[in-house]
Amino acid sequence: MGAEGADVLVATIKVYRYEPERDEKAHYDTWEFDVKPGQTVLDLLHEIHYFHDPTLSFRRSCRSAICGSCGMTLNGRTGLSCNTQAQPLIDRDGSLVVEPMKNMPVLKDLVVDMSGFWKDVYDIRPYLQPAPTAPKGPYVVPKQRMEPMKIAQDCIMCGSCLSECTSREANPDYLGPAALAKAFRFVADARDAATAERLRQYSEPNGIWDCDTCLYCNEVCPMHVKPMDAIMHMREMANDLGIESQGSKHAIAFYETILESGKLNEFKVAMKSLGLGGLALQAGITAKVVLRGKQPEIRKKKIEGYADVKKLYKLVEERKKRKGEKK
Amino acid sequence: MQKHDVLVVGGGLAGAHAARAAHLAGADVAIVSKLSPLRSHSVAAAGGINAALAEGDTWEGHAFDTIKGSDYLADQDSVEILTREAPNVIIEMDHLGTPFSRDEQGKLFNRPFGGMRQARAFFAGDRTGLSLMQTSWEQLVKEGITLYEEWAATRLIVEDGRFSGLVAYKVADGTLDEFQAKAAVICTGPGGQMYLKSTNAVTCTGDGLAMAFRAGCALKDMEFVQFHPTSLHGPNILITEAARGEGGILKNAKGERFMERYSPKMLDLAPRDIVSRSIQTEANEGRAYPGGYVDLDLTHLGEAKIKERLPEVYQFSMEFAGVNPGEKPIPIEPAQHYIMGGIATNNDGATSIPGIYAAGECACVSLHGANRLGGNALLECIVFGKRAGEAAAAFAKGTSQVAGGADVLAAEDRRVESLVKSDGREIVEGLRQELKRVMWDKVGIYRNEADMSAAVGAVRDLRRRYENVRVGAPGRTFNYSLLEAMELRNLLDLSEPIALGALLRRESRGAHSRTDFLARDDPSWLKHTLAWWRGEKIEITYEPVRITQWEPKERTY
Repeated sequence: MGAEGADVLVATIKVYRYEPERDEKAHYDTWEFDVKPGQTVLDLLHEIHYFHDPTLSFRRSCRSAICGSCGMTLNGRTGLSCNTQAQPLIDRDGSLVVEPMKNMPVLKDLVVDMSGFWKDVYDIRPYLQPAPTAPKGPYVVPKQRMEPMKIAQDCIMCGSCLSECTSREANPDYLGPAALAKAFRFVADARDAATAERLRQYSEPNGIWDCDTCLYCNEVCPMHVKPMDAIMHMREMANDLGIESQGSKHAIAFYETILESGKLNEFKVAMKSLGLGGLALQAGITAKVVLRGKQPEIRKKKIEGYADVKKLYKLVEERKKRKGEKK
Repeated sequence: MQKHDVLVVGGGLAGAHAARAAHLAGADVAIVSKLSPLRSHSVAAAGGINAALAEGDTWEGHAFDTIKGSDYLADQDSVEILTREAPNVIIEMDHLGTPFSRDEQGKLFNRPFGGMRQARAFFAGDRTGLSLMQTSWEQLVKEGITLYEEWAATRLIVEDGRFSGLVAYKVADGTLDEFQAKAAVICTGPGGQMYLKSTNAVTCTGDGLAMAFRAGCALKDMEFVQFHPTSLHGPNILITEAARGEGGILKNAKGERFMERYSPKMLDLAPRDIVSRSIQTEANEGRAYPGGYVDLDLTHLGEAKIKERLPEVYQFSMEFAGVNPGEKPIPIEPAQHYIMGGIATNNDGATSIPGIYAAGECACVSLHGANRLGGNALLECIVFGKRAGEAAAAFAKGTSQVAGGADVLAAEDRRVESLVKSDGREIVEGLRQELKRVMWDKVGIYRNEADMSAAVGAVRDLRRRYENVRVGAPGRTFNYSLLEAMELRNLLDLSEPIALGALLRRESRGAHSRTDFLARDDPSWLKHTLAWWRGEKIEITYEPVRITQWEPKERTY
């Protein structure tokens, strides 16, 4: 440890403020602080709350990244305030800006309404649905068979992933990464007997096929849960089980048409995933595309390097075959 | 006003099992919780849950280790219930979905824990509490149990000696409401925030303990406070005992494995009271690093094994200390961790007031006596949470609702209103820091008459000064400063029974270690302390320890 004061950084901390009883609009308050090495963002918020402005509200509890209370936006990216060191953020960006999580209504200052978050989790039936008869002792499940759950089981429901979810931003009805990671936790559990039923439910609109694979959820999770990977695993499992949905048809059509030329055939993909009727319903979008001169060519020529595309497909098919044999 | 058969206060592990059990017994149950249940401190429990489930292990072995660990202050009939039930708990939680760690053949792993002669701590990585809490919460969702979340209970209503309901404060909008019920189970968990160094969450302010105390329930053995040997130096974040269970070694600043001197047989896996005192002695005698910390060395395990078996230790060490435990030892120091004492209950969780039950860390059955062994707290939450929930449901079935409470609600309203408006000169955090300092310095790991007597006086003085406390935030929406002022009152009201019980107990037993009375004194002190709230004064009485088959012996490791 360095000498007292040696590594102290004087920094500006800007905090989002909103008090519904008083404010029509949110604003920011700014404090100048000595930030010591090792201090977390939560330490700084506590200092403000305890000694400078008792009206500042934020949730927190364990201060050790396990209770999930203190998700917030820190210099633009969501994380837990308790396990985020302040100095590195300030070093990188010049100051510290603390805002509430996104995709959830703000109730006061840094406190957001998580009822929508919880509702989604409730909707995926977040509890084990085992076979009717259980063994006398614990289930015998080899270690390796417990492994797949690991990418999802440590979720602390902090909401960081939902806050960054671009699919949720575009579609408020999308279940979101935390609920779907929780869903995968049961899908992957050898003790759960409702796998197919679950995957059918999660394949419905606003479920696994609505993720736009932006990867932000994987990136921000403080527990290193991989919601997007969980969602992709469930897509694959749904396809393996032949669970048809608009999303799966879209994915299969995508795969098949690219094989033809190496290029996406938007028209064929739309035909295959939506059908004629569905396509008719999309007439408005089609018209707009045409008006702006962005309509895709209907016949695609094979792209340069098409042979490499074929090679890639061969690898994928071989992998699929191996997986099938293993089962 | 809300009305239910049974109210469970607190949604942690004990609360979840109390609520589920009462619900399955047919009662209309609701949970009233200051935090969303998954935010409860149960999730911070890391290392394991004990059960004599491995081949060759017996419940008697588990019971004996627990009783010896308790320095013979645990009630032995209660420990028998706990340890007999333990294997069923593991099986049931596995059947409900807890992802216990397993071996290649699919059998559950277990590992050694402090004070246990046998490896009997079952675990899910080092996130056992989180995993058990998730499973238990999932069952609450499945059963559709009513939840009043972010409602902080402030007062239990007792009419003519019987429970009739409670008043709770809604954090979101600052309103108070009355909840009527025939029975309540208090499961509010820890209350260690009166100590300067504590592994407890900031929200662990003993609300249920203080509420039950003020309502007339006895608090039992409050002087027995556990100091966990391995909290991260500085932020006092818990580094689980499992780190030593997996082979971690404590070393002083000279690189000596000092536990060889204090516990030649069990070494680093001696019970927590002994290891904490050993570290403190090393520090007092100048063999710790400046600042009083020592090393927890895991480097010989290698980064890969640490990541697999102790992922949380790895994460905490990296994020909060900037230390890769595969390469360098982790700097650790003792910190308050657990209160063995609590609301006095019988084996069904019943308190001295009909209709009020308690379970989990806020209760004292007593299962842990003068020192709790690692891996027994999660177990207690499930076994006794369930028992208390069942008993509360049965009680509710056989009784009618006691009327009354409107005047109590009005009184609580006035109290909160005057608190939020007060312009006194004492700052909440100022008083809280003073309290934490007094309790740590004077009723800490090593204790003596002069210090504790000063502490009792200081706590009384702080309680007087609390009358002048200023919240400084006038709003009602998520006013955490107001909530913290209410929490501080609870910490103050609990600190006196801790200090007073400790001052009066003239012996050393388990975690209560006096430099002026070094030995355990069974003829005078093999008894439980009971503290009773008598307005301005606290009355102390005693009751005998229930001994079944294990006669008290000298406790050496």
